[in-house]
Amino acid sequence: MLHKPESALIIVGHGSTVNPDSSAPTFDHAEAIQRKGTFREVHCAFWKEEPSLRQVLHMVDSEDVYIVPNFISEGYFTRTVIPRELELSGPLTLQDGRRLKYCEPVGNHERMCELLLKRAAEVAPGVPTKECSLLIVGHGTNLNDNSAFAAKREVDRIRETGLYGEVFNTYMEEAPLVNEWDSYTTCPNVVVVPFFIADGLHSYQDIPVLLGIEQDTGLAASQRDIFRQNPYHLRGRTLYYASAIGTEPLFGELILDQAALFDLQHSNATPPLET
Amino acid sequence: MKRNLTQALESWIAAGFRSIGQIRINPQQDGSYELHHTEDTDREDLQLHTAVEDSRTLSFFDDANVYRPLKTAPTLRHGWRLHVRDTRELRTALDHFYPAMTALWLSHLDGKLPSVPLRETLGRQTGMYAATKRLLDDEGQELVGKACAASACAKRMLWSFSADQPLTHLPAADLSSEPRLLADGTREIPLLCQEACNILVAACREVVKKRERAQSPAPKAEGH
Repeated sequence: MLHKPESALIIVGHGSTVNPDSSAPTFDHAEAIQRKGTFREVHCAFWKEEPSLRQVLHMVDSEDVYIVPNFISEGYFTRTVIPRELELSGPLTLQDGRRLKYCEPVGNHERMCELLLKRAAEVAPGVPTKECSLLIVGHGTNLNDNSAFAAKREVDRIRETGLYGEVFNTYMEEAPLVNEWDSYTTCPNVVVVPFFIADGLHSYQDIPVLLGIEQDTGLAASQRDIFRQNPYHLRGRTLYYASAIGTEPLFGELILDQAALFDLQHSNATPPLET
Repeated sequence: MKRNLTQALESWIAAGFRSIGQIRINPQQDGSYELHHTEDTDREDLQLHTAVEDSRTLSFFDDANVYRPLKTAPTLRHGWRLHVRDTRELRTALDHFYPAMTALWLSHLDGKLPSVPLRETLGRQTGMYAATKRLLDDEGQELVGKACAASACAKRMLWSFSADQPLTHLPAADLSSEPRLLADGTREIPLLCQEACNILVAACREVVKKRERAQSPAPKAEGH
């Protein structure tokens, strides 16, 4: 089990200036890891919220620092923005008397498939999975982002288990489109799991409208008086809508695993610091 | 000496620092602390919170329950008091109310808080924010004068507009790192800004885009 009483962990999230729920899972996972005592100190940092990537290293007392992007996939943010803003030169950066260890994003973890299946089972208890279409919703984009690729990889893994009647990738911005869900699914039950880090703008406000279970985008999840109630009966099917995969508490374990993976992959790359 | 922000915070309290931004810090006899809004000192109907994690929720929404993406905006919620057990919890709470602000103050005192001119911050932007490289001097100075004014953000700007151009639209008090001495003889931990935040960078982009849309109606396609 990972035990780093002399090290710091920084969990990096995207954050939002519009939606207060975007950073919530990152803070939640940080608090859970802090309570476990695995690291001496745990901090969050964000692109669009505070503390920013330019501020967070000032908050760290430790000389040994693990940085885990709480992102669903490799892409523009993990490859360009985070290294640039933290002035990282590679997986290991020696900077101002510190070792900065840049770990793989959480979404790369091989247990992601297991978490998606757990969430799907929880949202539709008692529903026979063989009579169920499972939709994994990604953003889908033509930008420099591999989120669609990562979502496809997870769907392939879920298909291999043979647990669900059928499994589809679906996207907000590219085909197969989430708003056309009833045209390509055939099972009477449909379970929808957003492949997102947070119940932010997309998973809690945009996708429900695209699915047809909400009329307008409405307020953020944390500001709604009544949370959504599953199941929904529409378009001749029974639909179950899960919250974003990144809100799963087990994500915290995956964050710790990514730090442990860094040690495995770079065991010869942690030179002593000059004192 | 190894860096220890918790110890530094303790030493500041001992030296008479009692507030940061809109937060009043009242040390108790047993080593715990009580925090409340600086404007709530005389109120007796404050709702007591004893979980340090509550500082996150209290910092996220203003009196009208509107989300506060900029924690140094002068819109901190009223009506609460938060009891934290020790200086470590105080550090956690202040990191939610004013993220990184005690840390930046320590770095400043240690001479390790280099400031970055706005032009340099904008110059390294990529994707959708690369447009900020086209910000004009005049419109940039004017924007900073509004977006970074004390009425919008309580931080003190330590950065210049460019290597050879100071900020021209903010009063000197908004550009100083000196802690203020308050009327009751206590001092305030200053909120420092060593580099333009993403909110200002995004606002710079809006200014550029608005001007360019007015000049040429056909928009250019851009990435993130």
